[in-house]
Amino acid sequence: MTTLDKIILLVEDNPDDAKLTLRAFKQSNIANPIVVAKDGVEALDFLFGRGAYSDRSGKPLPMLIVLDLKLPKLDGHGVLREMRADERTKLLPVVIMTSSKEERDVVASYALGANSYVRKPVDFAEFAEAAKLLGIYWLMLNQPNPG
Amino acid sequence: MKIGSKERLATASLLGVICVIALAVWWTYAELDDASRERREASDIARALTDMRLVTDEYALNHSERARAQWYEVSRRVDNLLAASRLAGQTEQELLAGLRDKRTEGQQIFGDLALTPADDRTDASGAELINRRYEVQSLNRLLIFEQDNLGAAFRLSDLATERGNIAERRLFVVVLSGLALIATIKVGVSWSIRRNVLTPVARLQHVAYQVAGGDWGLEFGRGGDDEVGDLTRNLGRMTQSLRHSFARVERSNQELVSLNKELETFSYSVSHDLRGPLRSMDGFSLALLEDYGDKLDEEGKDSLRRIRAASQRMGRLIDDLLGLSHVTRVNLKIEIVNLSEIVREIAAALDHQKNARTVQWLIEENLTARADKNLLGIAMQNLLQNAWKVTGKTPEATIRFGMQRQDGRQAFFVADNGAGFNTDYAAKLFEAFQRLHHADDFPGTGIGLAIVQRIIRRHSGTIWAEAKEGKGATFFFTIGQPEHDNPGQDNPAG
Repeated sequence: MTTLDKIILLVEDNPDDAKLTLRAFKQSNIANPIVVAKDGVEALDFLFGRGAYSDRSGKPLPMLIVLDLKLPKLDGHGVLREMRADERTKLLPVVIMTSSKEERDVVASYALGANSYVRKPVDFAEFAEAAKLLGIYWLMLNQPNPG
Repeated sequence: MKIGSKERLATASLLGVICVIALAVWWTYAELDDASRERREASDIARALTDMRLVTDEYALNHSERARAQWYEVSRRVDNLLAASRLAGQTEQELLAGLRDKRTEGQQIFGDLALTPADDRTDASGAELINRRYEVQSLNRLLIFEQDNLGAAFRLSDLATERGNIAERRLFVVVLSGLALIATIKVGVSWSIRRNVLTPVARLQHVAYQVAGGDWGLEFGRGGDDEVGDLTRNLGRMTQSLRHSFARVERSNQELVSLNKELETFSYSVSHDLRGPLRSMDGFSLALLEDYGDKLDEEGKDSLRRIRAASQRMGRLIDDLLGLSHVTRVNLKIEIVNLSEIVREIAAALDHQKNARTVQWLIEENLTARADKNLLGIAMQNLLQNAWKVTGKTPEATIRFGMQRQDGRQAFFVADNGAGFNTDYAAKLFEAFQRLHHADDFPGTGIGLAIVQRIIRRHSGTIWAEAKEGKGATFFFTIGQPEHDNPGQDNPAG
């Protein structure tokens, strides 16, 4: 398995943010394929090979999920809850990347089993730095669960 | 009937009874006085009449001139006494009249006797013998009269004594029944007080105790038409209006709670949604600069840099505003907080910033306060950051933290030798978005000190500042009795 197979699932409804995140990853030389899901339901469909992603059934799961909290249909916490309830996605690394640093969001995210919580800074330079560090940590340093 | 009226009635009755008793005593005393005077008069008369008897006897024995003179003298005395007598009463008057009649008759008899000279007695002729027999008969009649008179005098004395006795008995009865009446009134008053005052007051006390304990549903009842009844009704009205007030307060509280919830939702939405567009503005400006920088002249690049700076500044403003609302809403968790330690940590962090300068820190050791550690940390962070900022252009910057007594209070202080400010504007110091320096000189959103003030207020403390332009500023604050924290409601992450 090469680095290129390690898909990153970016769950982000704001196209600006999605574009900027992709740009930040690209600037950080993260060449992994990145799939963007625009809401919580789409994210779960992708993960579990349902709906529009039924052809993905049985294919490898993403290496990392970058999850926004405020999403249409099903919010980030909902996605996280369903993921952690399913054997297949129970241990997938999930990084919450959101605007809020409200205590209740942070607390709820960790309680539901998020692996990291990153707040999107307004300053894009800082944002790019954060994206770079995330990529280095989760895609290169971190030893994934062999299962 | 009002208790006041009852009380007045009882007092009036008591006074009346006491007056009646006093009158009766006075009257009886006068009567007794009268009776003893009458007894004295009667015995005077009796004594005089006894003397009368004696001189009549003496005259009957020796017919002496002296006895005759004495008889007249005593007779005059008796007449004088009878004339001066003030004996009242019908029986007394009748007896006196009888006495006077018998006296007149007796004097006549004695006057007839006196016509016979004494020295002719030895000569006992026939006429003389008749005369003598007549004389003996007259004397005997006289003696009988006088004996009757004496009896009448004793009878008068008896009557006076009896009158005195009756008066004494009457006094006894009056005093006794008066005392009984007083006792009855006293018992009646006690019973009335118990029934109309003590029992209702005990009931009121019971209900008031329950109400004070928070049982607002209890009713005080109607109450009677007396003062206790008035009190009962007024207490009832008071609880009623208190109940209404509490209901109003409860409603306001609920409104506040829902307002707070709305505010929270608002903050949440601000936190999530307002920063997104700013990120886009900053991110795409940077993208332009990076990707098309070579196609832009300096003017164009400067504009993009300004867009970025403004976006970032607005991001900080939003963060600070959220911080301000956070310190207002968060539940306090009170513990002993070592302020000196907090200050040292913040100082160390400031020293290790990217663009660190040399600042001399003078931190008094082991200053503690009962406070919320997180909030106080935020307050100290803001104060120290402020001091750090305003000493940016001071060659030998010094920031001090300590405690001193100010107007009898223990005030903590953060003092710097930085830019200071004109105290004329100090009133605006703690208002949000108020800045005393230009952003070019010292950057900031103008919310830091507002946050500090809210935190100090939530700890029931006060904050104030002393400063001199160009010489530095000192911020003082006190920590009072903090608001009650709600155990169990503390946010686990707080």
